[in-house]
Amino acid sequence: MLGYLIRRVIHALLVIAAVATLVFFMLRAVPGDPLRAMLFEIGDAEAVEALRTKLGLDQPMYVQYVIWFGHVLQGDLGNSIYGSRVSVSRIITEAFPRTISLAGFAFIIALLLAVPAGIVSAIRKHSIFDHVFTFIAFLGLSMPDFWVAIILIIIFAVNLHWLPAIGYADISKGFWPWFSHLILPAIAIGTAFSAILARMIRSALLEVMKSDFIRTARAKGLDENLVIFKHALRNAAIPVITVLGIAIALLMSGAVIVENVFSIKGLGRTLIQGILNRDYPVVQGAILVVSVIFVFANLLVDVFYTLVDPRIRYEE
Amino acid sequence: MFDGLDKHTQEQLKRDFKEAHDFDPKDPLFGLRQSDFRGPKMGRRTVLRLLAAAGMLSMSHLLPQTVKTVLGQSGGELTAGWAGVGEIRTLDPAQINQVLQFQIASNVLGGLTHINPDLVAEGDLAVDWQVSADGTEYTFNLREGVTFHNGDPFTADDVVFTFNRSKDPQKSIHTGTIANVQSAEKIDDLTVKFTLAKPQASFLVKATERSSGRALTIVSQGGLEALGTEQYGLTPVGTGPFRVTEHQLGQGVTLEKFDNYYDPQRPKLDKITIIPIIENEPLAAAIEAGDIQLIGGNPPAAELIDRFVDNSDLTVSIIPGPGFQALFVNPWREPMRVPGFNKSISELKSESGFKVRLAIAKALDRDDYIARAQFGRGVPAFGSINPAMGFFFDTAINDTSEQRFNLDEARQLLADAGFPNGDGFPVLRLSGTPAARRELQIVAGILKQNLNINTEVDIKDFPVLIDEFDAMEYDLLRIGSGGDFDPDDGLVDWMITTSKFNGPDRDKENMPFGFFSEAEVDAAVAAEVVEPDLDARKALVQKANNLTSNKVAALFLFHPLDILVFRNEVNFPAESRIPGLVDLDRVTLG
Repeated sequence: MLGYLIRRVIHALLVIAAVATLVFFMLRAVPGDPLRAMLFEIGDAEAVEALRTKLGLDQPMYVQYVIWFGHVLQGDLGNSIYGSRVSVSRIITEAFPRTISLAGFAFIIALLLAVPAGIVSAIRKHSIFDHVFTFIAFLGLSMPDFWVAIILIIIFAVNLHWLPAIGYADISKGFWPWFSHLILPAIAIGTAFSAILARMIRSALLEVMKSDFIRTARAKGLDENLVIFKHALRNAAIPVITVLGIAIALLMSGAVIVENVFSIKGLGRTLIQGILNRDYPVVQGAILVVSVIFVFANLLVDVFYTLVDPRIRYEE
Repeated sequence: MFDGLDKHTQEQLKRDFKEAHDFDPKDPLFGLRQSDFRGPKMGRRTVLRLLAAAGMLSMSHLLPQTVKTVLGQSGGELTAGWAGVGEIRTLDPAQINQVLQFQIASNVLGGLTHINPDLVAEGDLAVDWQVSADGTEYTFNLREGVTFHNGDPFTADDVVFTFNRSKDPQKSIHTGTIANVQSAEKIDDLTVKFTLAKPQASFLVKATERSSGRALTIVSQGGLEALGTEQYGLTPVGTGPFRVTEHQLGQGVTLEKFDNYYDPQRPKLDKITIIPIIENEPLAAAIEAGDIQLIGGNPPAAELIDRFVDNSDLTVSIIPGPGFQALFVNPWREPMRVPGFNKSISELKSESGFKVRLAIAKALDRDDYIARAQFGRGVPAFGSINPAMGFFFDTAINDTSEQRFNLDEARQLLADAGFPNGDGFPVLRLSGTPAARRELQIVAGILKQNLNINTEVDIKDFPVLIDEFDAMEYDLLRIGSGGDFDPDDGLVDWMITTSKFNGPDRDKENMPFGFFSEAEVDAAVAAEVVEPDLDARKALVQKANNLTSNKVAALFLFHPLDILVFRNEVNFPAESRIPGLVDLDRVTLG
């Protein structure tokens, strides 16, 4: 097991390095000079070139890459090329907790909606509950999250004045300000994911309920609740855990758009703005962080498998 | 608010409103005299008449300053949404490159001068100044008793420090703004003298102005040393009415009242929180929900304005904006080719390339374009001098410009150029940013409908568009200018042969000039730049503006309006209603 983990970690690091390298060169292949665009209003070609030299962007691309990669290995992600050249580490450190709060909250909402819905749909297959939950699930999948976000804002912020329409409050400002700013965006993101999860749980549970060991458990006279929640659900969890690894991708990609709608400067919005502005260091740094999250999240999922199902062991 | 006034004031306002609209629409001077347009300040009656003539007169213009201020109370907290932006990247004037950034900086930092609503420079950190007879020396007498937010006293040393910092291209991107300034010399603690290489009529508005000037927006040496450049850009230390107490990138800037501001009557508010809001619908929802009380930053999307106007909880203040938007025509591409503009208009009209250029200009009904593309919010443009400049703006250009809408003439010109009814006319590319997509589609529709010519809308990200613009690799390109407080912002920056936007990266062998070059314009601008007499300068500015209009330097489309939206509990006095800026030091709540 340990050997497997070490190999996976090395593999993960290689994947991250490859992604970072690809992004580095792809960014510079995109047309448009960011410095000229940034200083267009100034219209001073000398100022543009002075800035280019100051930022090291006049160097050959491979030189820029080596310098940047060397700094990354020392934990320095560089500085934004815009404005006050704030360090990328600082930008990401400020943005990351917002995205994690949002994605985490969305995940909890998704679980709270999906697990009961999936279980009830499976247990009462083809009943009115099943049909209703199925319909709601397809509705959740069909509605774009930015549209859901805007509808929630109109209902709960503009009309009812129950919750704020935009923004994010750090938890240091109090639990309720932090929590109230996250409710609407978390629902917007979590809705689609809960639909996927509910359908997954339903399918997995239905499959497991047909198994011999379930029939045996019932034949032995076990209470139906015990059969479902102790035996069936645990086995049905295995394919669902696979989805959880992808969940991180889904939630963070949903966060990108919803962050824009709610004016929350999380990692997703940082990344999008960096790309639109051609802010190379910010994009490189953000993608590096995102790829680390993705790769190690999937690694954790694989490890978690072994805890859920002792039959699964990875060969040395 | 009107109902809260006494009967006498209500009657006076009704009379003012009626009087402002009492003119013959066909009169190019709207019932005013030429002397009414003389600067440096226009009278209230003249300004109200011009606003009424443009259809933009609102109650906020009529209410006297004292009434609005009395209605509000000192104190309180305001939350403002900054439209169309994801983050406020810097507040360090040496690095500021966006209007929405210096809108905030204007509340935090001071300058020797500050413009008023008529775009005339008045003293800010300078109480007065003297100009030498030859116009090359400016001696400023500084205000006594001013302190920075960190307690350091403001002296002439800080002016010299700021100047030296701005002169260093490693530290400032605004070196070019003070290229004409040879030196800044401390005479004593409260006196500083600038020596210019040559006279500069726009010096007070462009260089020393605290908001748009930036090059001489006063920074704190102590603050820079204590915080470092990176942090100073986020939480600058200045002499302004508010100090920055918190700045979370992309999430918001918090300003708090500076108790030791030099004017004890200001600021009125205790605290302001500024949140960048990039999307239109959340911005609208936020102000409707009351989460924000005011919209600053970029102008709100035109399609939202009617919704705000219809909302009885909101006030929409509209004044002429400081800028212009245009379609630039590449004179080096067929069939619009014009290899030289140094001819009379009648001579130019004999050339097929100019005929095409003028035909397109005349076929563009600006009123129709504004109604459809800008939801009626805009002033038709025929030159780079905008109506916010007031004194320099010539309303007669609307009726005299060669570019004014005339469909019969447009079609005749196109036919004379060899394309009767648009037959055989090549497909032109209409380039613009994603934000301009709908507007370009409307332009394409107008050209098809009016001239039967086909255009292809070509959307490019801003960095790519700029590359093409600078290299003259376009047919028609939609771009413009904002924050234009002085005629030089329009004429010098855009309309002369050596202007910074005039195709700097073009193939100079095959293209001797960029999008426009005309000797008479160059001469008029060269003269107005150094002309100290306002009337004479105005004449030169209008001469250059008319020439650029008649010779179609660009297809001028419209002048954007300055639209400020705020909730009714916000009192935004007329004195603070400066085009392009959001000065909050006199704003009250309640």
